[in-house]
Amino acid sequence: MTVAALSAAEAPLQASPRAVSRRRAVRRFKLSLLAPLIALFAFVLMPVLLLQLYFSVHQWTVYLGSWWDADYIGLDLFKEVLTDPRFGWAVLRSLAFATGSTVGCFVFGFLLAYLMHKPFRGQAIYYIIFILPMLTVPVVVAYTAEMMLYQSGPLNDVITRLSGIEFKPSWLSDPHLALMTVSLLEIWNWTPFSFIIMLAGLTAIPKEPIEAAEILGASKWRIFWEVQVPLLRPVILLALVLRFLEAMAEFPKTWSLFQGGPGSATETLPVYIFMTTWQYFEISKGAAMSYIVMLLMIVIVLFAIRLLRREKRSLDKMYEQTDSPKVEA
Amino acid sequence: MAMTKSQRRRITSGVRYVVLSVWGLMAFFPIYWIISTSFKLDTQWFAWPPYYFPSPPTLANYMNVWFGAEEYAQTQYAISSQKPLISLYNSTVIAVTSTFLSVLFGSMIAYGVSRYRILSEARMFQLLMLRMIPPIVIVAPLSLYYTAIGLIDTRFGLILVYFLTTLPYAVWMTKSFIDEVPLEVEQAAEILGASRWRTVFEIVLPLIRSGLVATFLFILILTWSEYLLALIITKTQVTTLPIELSKYQGSTEGRVYGRQAALAVGITVPLMIVGLIIRKHLARGFSFGMVRR
Amino acid sequence: MTKFNISRRTFVEGGLGLTVANFLPGTMPLASAATMEESTIAAAKSAGPAAVNGMIWSPYLVPMQPVIAEFSKQTNITIGAVQDISIFDAPQRAMAEALSRSPQFDFIHIDSNMIPSLVSAGYLEPLDEYMKKANFKIDAVGDYGTFMTYGGQTYGVPTDGNVHIQYVRKDIIEDPDNKKRFADKFGKELKFPQTWEEEQTIQEFFMDPSKDLYGSANLRNRANGPTWWYMIYYSAGGFPFDDDMKPTLNTPAGQYAVDIYLKDKKYNHPEAANWGTPQQIPRIAQGHVVSTQYWDGTAKLNENPAKSKTTGKWLYGLVPGSDFSGKRMHRSISSPLAAILINKYSPRKAQAAYLALWLGSGKNSIPIVTDPVNTFNDAWAKEHMTSDAVKNAYSPAGVKAIEANFQVVAPPIYLTGYLEFQDALGKNLSEAFVGQLPAKDVLKKTEDEWTAIIRRIGQSKLKKDLVSYKALMPKRLKPA
Repeated sequence: MTVAALSAAEAPLQASPRAVSRRRAVRRFKLSLLAPLIALFAFVLMPVLLLQLYFSVHQWTVYLGSWWDADYIGLDLFKEVLTDPRFGWAVLRSLAFATGSTVGCFVFGFLLAYLMHKPFRGQAIYYIIFILPMLTVPVVVAYTAEMMLYQSGPLNDVITRLSGIEFKPSWLSDPHLALMTVSLLEIWNWTPFSFIIMLAGLTAIPKEPIEAAEILGASKWRIFWEVQVPLLRPVILLALVLRFLEAMAEFPKTWSLFQGGPGSATETLPVYIFMTTWQYFEISKGAAMSYIVMLLMIVIVLFAIRLLRREKRSLDKMYEQTDSPKVEA
Repeated sequence: MAMTKSQRRRITSGVRYVVLSVWGLMAFFPIYWIISTSFKLDTQWFAWPPYYFPSPPTLANYMNVWFGAEEYAQTQYAISSQKPLISLYNSTVIAVTSTFLSVLFGSMIAYGVSRYRILSEARMFQLLMLRMIPPIVIVAPLSLYYTAIGLIDTRFGLILVYFLTTLPYAVWMTKSFIDEVPLEVEQAAEILGASRWRTVFEIVLPLIRSGLVATFLFILILTWSEYLLALIITKTQVTTLPIELSKYQGSTEGRVYGRQAALAVGITVPLMIVGLIIRKHLARGFSFGMVRR
Repeated sequence: MTKFNISRRTFVEGGLGLTVANFLPGTMPLASAATMEESTIAAAKSAGPAAVNGMIWSPYLVPMQPVIAEFSKQTNITIGAVQDISIFDAPQRAMAEALSRSPQFDFIHIDSNMIPSLVSAGYLEPLDEYMKKANFKIDAVGDYGTFMTYGGQTYGVPTDGNVHIQYVRKDIIEDPDNKKRFADKFGKELKFPQTWEEEQTIQEFFMDPSKDLYGSANLRNRANGPTWWYMIYYSAGGFPFDDDMKPTLNTPAGQYAVDIYLKDKKYNHPEAANWGTPQQIPRIAQGHVVSTQYWDGTAKLNENPAKSKTTGKWLYGLVPGSDFSGKRMHRSISSPLAAILINKYSPRKAQAAYLALWLGSGKNSIPIVTDPVNTFNDAWAKEHMTSDAVKNAYSPAGVKAIEANFQVVAPPIYLTGYLEFQDALGKNLSEAFVGQLPAKDVLKKTEDEWTAIIRRIGQSKLKKDLVSYKALMPKRLKPA
């Protein structure tokens, strides 16, 4: 920085040298707080994304030479991916899987949270049992499912014995069921997540509006829909969005259990990308696919972030009105 | 038919217990199945009809998987290289170190956001993208990049990516704790002449230590169970437990469920203990400031 | 990066040369009277001590350990770090190694059908030089040794024959009542099936789901299905490519094979679509299956009373053939044929190569292929066929069946891009098996996908590969 520029910057502030050095120190401090994040971006994320970009516009056939010698082909691969029906199906499967499991997690999680949000005897035990599935490693979930879901396995056996009706779906071999099986596993695995968030949300609802509504003689049903649900909106949105995004990326269970089969019933986006890259070694096509998926996800995420921020702001506003003035730097 | 209020309440309460208990059984049954299978003899792993209780229970699965007990190798499937203990060590080192880094630097960033607004709210949400983009889209170039710079199949390499992908959670979660620390404390420290770094490390972080522990354990859950990245960027040296689990297929018995279950119990139990310790804080970890208390 | 690689490789090779030079004066000249094993040891000693790293699956490694220990004692070449990975996952991991040109593994134990792909990716070290020095020769039954060659060079040492043989329940088809019932219904004698059609008749006739007895235990999942399909297709006179590397699947022979393949659904367990060896092998040994083609190692399991409920209840023989081409032809298959391959980029490749040769001698490998518990390594050498230990493990009839099938054994596709070709076919067959794709579209769709693969890898390159592939195909119609 030149002297002139420096003085020009300082002039309007009329700051004393001490204040300047303090401001500089603060800036240095702020920068050093951010340094690790910047370093991670610069040395891990950026090179990886650039490499990915390189692969997506160069055709590298692994049998024909080194990757740095690959031919530049422009956007051909993107065209290839976008016209590939398998890719389209994978997108649809992923969306179906994510939607189904998100809704499932939410419905069960909300139901359980609603039943548990007021204290009752044995609440703590139920809470502990309910969160256990979330603490099970996904790969373990997959192998446990393999142990339990064969046709004459324990699950069908228990249901048959309890109901007295022959219950024999082939959870793992029927192409019409396979994707649903993974969805059910996902729901089993992650309902605790929705449950925990909803429970926290429900217990955090201020009591006054509900009491006021009760005094006015509103039915439970109306209180639920017209008081509790609106107050819960941000939490509900959060539970849906996060679950959806995580479900779009689900890989360990789908892969360990099915590897895309039977037929191609469980070939979701992560599975198809994995196969393209690590089974067919079409690194370049996999890179193009990855970029498309990344863009798709970024669009979804940005949309979700907008919604979340809007909710958070209205939440903040609401609490600013009710709370004592918040301490802010 | 009219019901008194107490009757209605009793029925509601009864319905509640039934619904919760049914779900409780559904939640617990698979976990019971892993545990019981881990005590079963090989003939009961995959049977028609299934065995609901190990009879008689055996410790063979644990002895063989965790301690490589050789006497079982003669009659049943045995693993050759006695890896689970090594993998346990790897998993522990990798998960603990990356989580530590993530919480340490995450809380510093969170402090900066809370007090100096070093990241705008929009940036804070964008940070979440690190977590929300599926890891599958970067594993291929990551593995080539790691090969080029010599980080493939090293603990440090895995630690670095776990650090990166869990950082958003660490920032958000610790920020929610730091926001609760009254500003007056810091102002007092500043007046007493403490440097900014000392204020962070000696005043603020100690004040939120229970929050830091909760964040630490919360992120540990994520790093401990990660599968895809570990599958691609580890080989012989640093295999983690979830990867170890996937190769339990015997040559004659088919998949060796009992051994696998014994290993699965070993992987899952630490996680459950951790989860139960911080169960009160789980909501905060997931809620990104959307739940007020 | 290129520069770095070259300079290091040159450096390492230079170092190696020096070591060899230092050792040579001390070593004995190889006497012609020395056995193959002795000369392997001598050559290995000249390479110097080392701990070699590799990729190999536990069930294969466990029975090898005593044999390796003997080698280590004599040569100071030991096993270092091992990546324990399933044989079905190994090809992908090996390719990942190849494309990053990693020197990490000295040897990989893997399906030999990966040889063309791995050589093309620049990963494999030819073994001919080492074999010459060690006076070594792959002494396999039939033409099986050629399965290790590609472009005129040898790249692997087999440890596991893994040939398919036919399993038929003796107690069922030799039962006089059954014989009579069968003869009454079909007007012909019940005997060991000779053709696919005969086998399916038997499977259908005897299967009884109410007793949990199914006709077949053939694999029909996405990963393993093609292995079975090729047997039928080859036996019908089919070959997947013409001389111009155009796919020739969509032919009458191909459709015939698809039809036979899909008919199996009627006789197989309802969950066959997603079942692999973990589910089907126990069912074979526990007596839930009438007739099936399977890897020969399962005979060891069947004949081990501690593990099996069907000891002594099996007939072993040649896999069924077909009259489709006008001549009765039988084709067995070996896939995955587990073999040890050596990494070109490894600084310890000589040591690893000699270890592989040591494990690949007929005499040394007898204890490996007869392990009754870890039964993945199956007999393959000429010497195995006359060994009493082998006959004990597989039963004499089992050994005879192995020998017969080896004479007509074929590989699946043996080309660069094996995994891509294989999965395209596997996916489409699997989709048809579960009803997602009409049977008549399987081959059309596969051909289209294969054409795209061929375009990507290059027609002229694959035409060269085709020569090696054709060299592997058996010449006789049925075993002599």
